[in-house]
Amino acid sequence: MNPILVYCKRDLVRWFRGKWGFIAAMAMPAAWLIFVGLALPIRFTDHYIDFVTPGILAMTVLSASLAGGGLLILDRMLGFFNKFLALPPPRESILFGKILVITIRGVIQSTIILIFAFLLGARLYSPTQLIGTYIILFIFGALLSATATTIAIYLDDHDQYAAANAMISMPLFFTSSAMMPYDVMPDWLEPIAKVNPLSYAIDGIRILKTGEIPVTQISILSLLCIGVVTLAVHVFRKVKI
Amino acid sequence: MAPTSSDNQSLQEYPLVTHSLTKRFGELLAVDTLTLSVGTEIFGLVGPNGSGKTTTVLMLTTLLDPDSGDATICGYDIRKHPRRVRESISYVPQDMAVDVRLTGRENVIMFAELYGVKNPVERSNEVLKILDLLDRADKRAKVYSGGMRRRLELAQALVHNPKILFLDEPTVGLDVAARKKIWEYIRTLRNDGMTVFVTTHYMDEADRYCDRVAIIDHGRIQAVDTPARLKGMISEDIISVSIAGTFTGIDVPGVKFAHQEEDTLIFHCENGAAALPLVKDALSDAGNQVLSMSVRQPSLDDVFLHLVGPGEDKSPFKSSTFRNMMGKR
Repeated sequence: MNPILVYCKRDLVRWFRGKWGFIAAMAMPAAWLIFVGLALPIRFTDHYIDFVTPGILAMTVLSASLAGGGLLILDRMLGFFNKFLALPPPRESILFGKILVITIRGVIQSTIILIFAFLLGARLYSPTQLIGTYIILFIFGALLSATATTIAIYLDDHDQYAAANAMISMPLFFTSSAMMPYDVMPDWLEPIAKVNPLSYAIDGIRILKTGEIPVTQISILSLLCIGVVTLAVHVFRKVKI
Repeated sequence: MAPTSSDNQSLQEYPLVTHSLTKRFGELLAVDTLTLSVGTEIFGLVGPNGSGKTTTVLMLTTLLDPDSGDATICGYDIRKHPRRVRESISYVPQDMAVDVRLTGRENVIMFAELYGVKNPVERSNEVLKILDLLDRADKRAKVYSGGMRRRLELAQALVHNPKILFLDEPTVGLDVAARKKIWEYIRTLRNDGMTVFVTTHYMDEADRYCDRVAIIDHGRIQAVDTPARLKGMISEDIISVSIAGTFTGIDVPGVKFAHQEEDTLIFHCENGAAALPLVKDALSDAGNQVLSMSVRQPSLDDVFLHLVGPGEDKSPFKSSTFRNMMGKR
């Protein structure tokens, strides 16, 4: 069995047997869907839940990825990381294992959120739109999980990571196009939202909904992803304790 | 003892050779020109906390780059061929790290797969059997006791038949019976031809179970030899005396004052039983009231104190290590 898959399987099994991590990770996006998607008095569209669902999907992947970085922190704190580093497989297989497991987690959670959104009245996606959505979420998840795992290498403990996590996730979400389209944004927010990687994922899914292929968004996300993963591999190869 | 560099014959015979291995952390010289040759034996690196034991092991297991000096493991340079080194060794760190949500068997199979063992399931079964874990193998490791977790870690480490096994403080946090069991397994491994490199700060365990011991303090090797010869280095007997009053020194032929721990004086001498009354008289003459006296054989503790003197533990306390020792997750 490939070491990447061994590492991935280990974390997946731990996650499923842990239960609470799974439930807790679902709570926030679900709350957003209900309280924001259904309750917010919005004037620019009469079907806000359709508009906000791509944003909530991206948010689910974002929070899953940032929480996933904590896996590496725990491995380091509990001594697993040292054991893994002393094993023969190339060290970047630890990284790829984490990227894979975190992305899988993110995609599983987004699936549940998507089903939940449909139940709350969002218009159904066509099979092509679904496939496109999953491709975007997967690339986006790989980008974010590589970022989170690399940050986790540099931070010493869980508290610091939780702080870094909070510092990244909220601003990233609110400065994206998740909540509102660019034309109703305040002028100062628009340029920020347009370079926010979260917006690329969200806009990509929205463009899919109009029946077009979001080539620009997918390309930019892919390039970012390749860049960050290359950097992360470099960091992992050099890592010493 | 360490071979010289021209001594190529013995370099090949020793699975583990280090030469002037040195590591600094800023101002602190953690490991200072460490030169060792370890054969197929249980080799103990003993010393107090913070003396450089773990740093040494981290360098030898390729987790930390030395600043200078070199080391070869089974003929592979730790810097040039780290991957080859990692294929030949197993490393069990101090923190007891087993996945509590996985079963014992799953924990071992995972390592077998990571080591690229051909038949992971069968091989895992074998090592679980060797370490007496087979009957609990399909329970989650959460319910394992400290001793069982340590044995599970040994099973993980042994699954690919390493040539050298590195154990960092293998018995910390275990009860007496569990310690004894761990050491008995280590002995069996040595008898089967494995080199076992152990660090410990339990001198009595090193004394009892290690074939050779290196005493390390402040990153420097103070002595390397069999426990028996190290103890022979100081004296035949140790006399310890509890006194009242201030000790000002006595002069008894053949008896050497070693050190004082609070009200207890430690003397080294060749024939303790004969020297006992002489020491008592000399102390009474010096105005000290003798409260109790005893004669015993020297221990490695005495050797250590003789070599480095009583010191204080100055290493930073690692709360994560403590938490792991307690088995809390």
